[in-house]
Amino acid sequence: MLRVEHLTKVFPNGTVALKDVTFQVPDGEFLAVIGLSGSGKSTLLRCINRLIEPTSGRIIWNDVDITALSQTEMRNVRRQIGFIFQQFNLVKRSTVITNVLTGRLGYVGTAQSLAHYFSKQDTERALNNLERLGLKEKAYVRADSLSGGQQQRVAIARALMQEPKMILADEPVASLDPVLSHSILKYLELLNKEDQLTVLCSLHFLDLVHRYATHAIALKDGQVVFQGLPQEIDDAQFKAIYGQDAQRVSII
Amino acid sequence: MAQSANSSTTHLTKSPTLAALLSLVIPGAGQLYLGARNVALAIFVASVAFIFLIGFTLDNFRAGKIEIGGVETSWLWLLLVAFWLWNVWDAHQRARGKTTTRLFSLGIPILLIYIIAWQVTDPNFARLVTRFSDVQIIFNALIHPDLLTRDTETQAGATTIWVPCSEPPQTAAPEGNSGLPVGVNKICGTVGDTLVMAGQGFHPNTTGNVYWLEYNGTNEVQIRAAGQPVLITTDADGKFTVSFEIPAFAGREGLDPTAPIAQGIQARFTQEVGPLKPSENFQVLVGSIAQDPAPGWMVSLGLRSPTDTVPRFVPGGIFVTIGLGLMATLISIIVAAPLSFFGARNVMARVRGGVIIYYIARGVFNIVRSIDTLIWAIILVTWTGLGAFTGLLALSIHSIASIAKLYSEEVEHTDPGPVEAVTATGGNLLQNIRFAVIPQIIPSFLAYSLLRWDINMRSATVVGFVSAAGIGFYIVESIRKGGYREYAAALWCIAIVVLIVDYLSAYWREQIVKNENKISTEPPKPFYKTRRGIFYTILFALVFVASWNLAQVDLGKLFEPAPTFVSVLSDFATVDLSIPVWEQITRQLLITIFQALLATTLGALVALPFAFLAAKNITGRSARTRWVYYGTRFILSFLRSIEAILYVSIFVFWVGIGAFAGMLALSITTFGLIGKLFSEAVENIEEGSVEALTATGANRLQSIAFAIVPQIVPPFISYAIYQWDINIRLATIIGLAGGGGIGQLFANYVGQLQYHKAGAVILSIVVIVTLMDLASAKIRERLV
Repeated sequence: MLRVEHLTKVFPNGTVALKDVTFQVPDGEFLAVIGLSGSGKSTLLRCINRLIEPTSGRIIWNDVDITALSQTEMRNVRRQIGFIFQQFNLVKRSTVITNVLTGRLGYVGTAQSLAHYFSKQDTERALNNLERLGLKEKAYVRADSLSGGQQQRVAIARALMQEPKMILADEPVASLDPVLSHSILKYLELLNKEDQLTVLCSLHFLDLVHRYATHAIALKDGQVVFQGLPQEIDDAQFKAIYGQDAQRVSII
Repeated sequence: MAQSANSSTTHLTKSPTLAALLSLVIPGAGQLYLGARNVALAIFVASVAFIFLIGFTLDNFRAGKIEIGGVETSWLWLLLVAFWLWNVWDAHQRARGKTTTRLFSLGIPILLIYIIAWQVTDPNFARLVTRFSDVQIIFNALIHPDLLTRDTETQAGATTIWVPCSEPPQTAAPEGNSGLPVGVNKICGTVGDTLVMAGQGFHPNTTGNVYWLEYNGTNEVQIRAAGQPVLITTDADGKFTVSFEIPAFAGREGLDPTAPIAQGIQARFTQEVGPLKPSENFQVLVGSIAQDPAPGWMVSLGLRSPTDTVPRFVPGGIFVTIGLGLMATLISIIVAAPLSFFGARNVMARVRGGVIIYYIARGVFNIVRSIDTLIWAIILVTWTGLGAFTGLLALSIHSIASIAKLYSEEVEHTDPGPVEAVTATGGNLLQNIRFAVIPQIIPSFLAYSLLRWDINMRSATVVGFVSAAGIGFYIVESIRKGGYREYAAALWCIAIVVLIVDYLSAYWREQIVKNENKISTEPPKPFYKTRRGIFYTILFALVFVASWNLAQVDLGKLFEPAPTFVSVLSDFATVDLSIPVWEQITRQLLITIFQALLATTLGALVALPFAFLAAKNITGRSARTRWVYYGTRFILSFLRSIEAILYVSIFVFWVGIGAFAGMLALSITTFGLIGKLFSEAVENIEEGSVEALTATGANRLQSIAFAIVPQIVPPFISYAIYQWDINIRLATIIGLAGGGGIGQLFANYVGQLQYHKAGAVILSIVVIVTLMDLASAKIRERLV
């Protein structure tokens, strides 16, 4: 169970990105976070694993107050939370398998990892994860030779190396075309159903939300304006979230 | 532009008269009143600088000196008055929402600066012409460097004669004919008599000289007519006849007819025979083969007997230089790579107190690299003494700071995405550096290291000026001995080596950028298991060991400084900033700055036409003009492959010691460097506009004037300012070879053991180089 209570983030330049955000995510849920660009989706997801330090409020995950942890303790929590980025954030010049193995860094000792020494089990685990994402034959290829969709699958494999209990995905398909969007979200759905991972995923397109999410929250100007089932987002709700001029569109 | 728009909105409320009056009292005040703060500051600073410059250069260089009613003053004050009046006018116009022409705002300061630069550098272009015949000896040497030689074979025949004739005349010539048969038509004679000499049996169709041999045979003189040596040429049968006068030399012992002296006349033919072979000088420069007794291990393995010898290559000066360049580059890569992270803001911001470390690191990098390698060498000689090792240290220190700065900037430019991702997986700072930062920066690090290798190679050719090792030292020595053919040989060696390094460095950098993407489905073998990996590891080890030996690395020396080292160091640190020293330094700094300015201007102006000749898109296209393209390129590369300080000796010989010689030397390298940069700017022009003009029926010259020139003026000015920046750095050392300026003052102070004054010089160099660096970066930013 993830509980976010009265979360507020004010950036040093005075921008209020999140204002008193409160919601709950039971284990095993696929929660879609929707809202316009700049509504605070990315900030919210980054606050949960404290890539961004929240200004006030609490984040409680499995009865641990994440906001109160020291940097060292935070590392231990972070390795249980996978993070998928819109821009994939792979090290483009490194091989695919090295990128996947970086997902293991929270578990291995610093000295050992600096020498690029990973155990046989870790390497096997990396290959298995790549196989699961259909990329086993690309293991020793440089990451920048892959297509966008393949790169995002490598990023998912990297997150899986953490043996996460929860996955945060920040616009994972915004840089991909519609067909690839479905393939990536299917993998996330698979992880959610097979591995019982909690997934928090920010999305742009409402039909993707309907198709994959079990719950949804909507942010507008840093505040929660909707909380409930995806099917409950009617036209009135839609206009409230996206503004009066918005039109519903669907992808494929 | 923003300023004029700004003032046009305020002109209703502000009075033009008041603005003009304010500017009349204090330059820039009116502009400040009108809200144009940057313009106001620029005008004020420029006015103060001009007052100082005119006053100081009048006292020190008699710049613009005239006498009015017995009072000495400078007519340059008129320019200041003009500038002042422009500033009043500008304030008035600005208040009415208008602008003034750049002709005055930029023209007057530029005119003033160039006039002062001219007076300070004291150029004497007439000497370039009047003393040209003197310098021909150097040009001849450059065409005939002392590198290769042939064995010579001499054929000679001598006969004898009495000087003077006695009373009564002798009846027979003195005894003592030697060599091949020759004879003269007289048996006695006095100085000035014409002799006819004949001989036979020599090699056919060769040319030789006649020599007069003194009676005891120890002295000889070549016989000349009208200042030129008398030449003798054999015919197809090996016979010759020649006539000449008995030289004054023959009468040196007095012409006493009672005691005539027997003297000799020799016909001598010297011929080069056999194949070309390396001269002795070549062996000193490049290397020679020595025969050593067989080493113990060979004997005990039975490969050689104890009496056998084995050949050993004795490396010459150029190899010491190559070793220095390689070793300094390796050291600086190893040291600078970790240091660079302290100078990277994005890394240090993640550490508590890291930003302070960042500023300190960047500050140290900038200070250290603003002091030239040669000046470091002078300082370091007090620690580790003369020798290749000191040169290595000086090269390494300067190189570490320069390369660490470039590396730091590269670390700052890394994509933050992977760092965020690694942090999200729970990685710490070190793991982030290892897995997210390092893989991103490796190609640019390699490229910068290769570039630095090129630069270090060039610096290594001159570091010997101070550290007394390598080819720089050889050059100093040969110039002192007047051995211009040796000097020329060294220049050729340097040019060849630097051109090779330049090419390799550029080629490998290009390969890194291209960096083909290997697709493989197999896990790669660790590099020590591949054949390539083993080959490169062994090659690297060999090069490393060789460089280590050539650079005479002696780490022990670091811990055994010269006994005076501590006192010297504290002397350096107690900087003497008393008025006389300060005046001396200002004087020399002005020379350095203006010398660099004139050199840049001269070099750039001369380079301008050549830039077009060396541009691929102008001359490189048709087969008819391609030789122009390659020829110009080669000349430019050749000229810039030799450091400016090595050219100084030519110009010192030509126009005399001083700032003018240094300026000319700088302008040669400027020509080479800026010619290349300019030609690249020409190559980068957009073809579309040229095509459009050609389509309108414009001819080639018209399309250059209307399509190319507007596109290349901003980059040209930007490169010229960049070059001025570089030239100021170079000008700080040009004085070490007699080129005037701050370097000469520094060398003098160190020579007189006045280290506290030398310390002040270093401080001034750091300040001026840093200021120029910042100013040139700012100006170029606005231009492009």
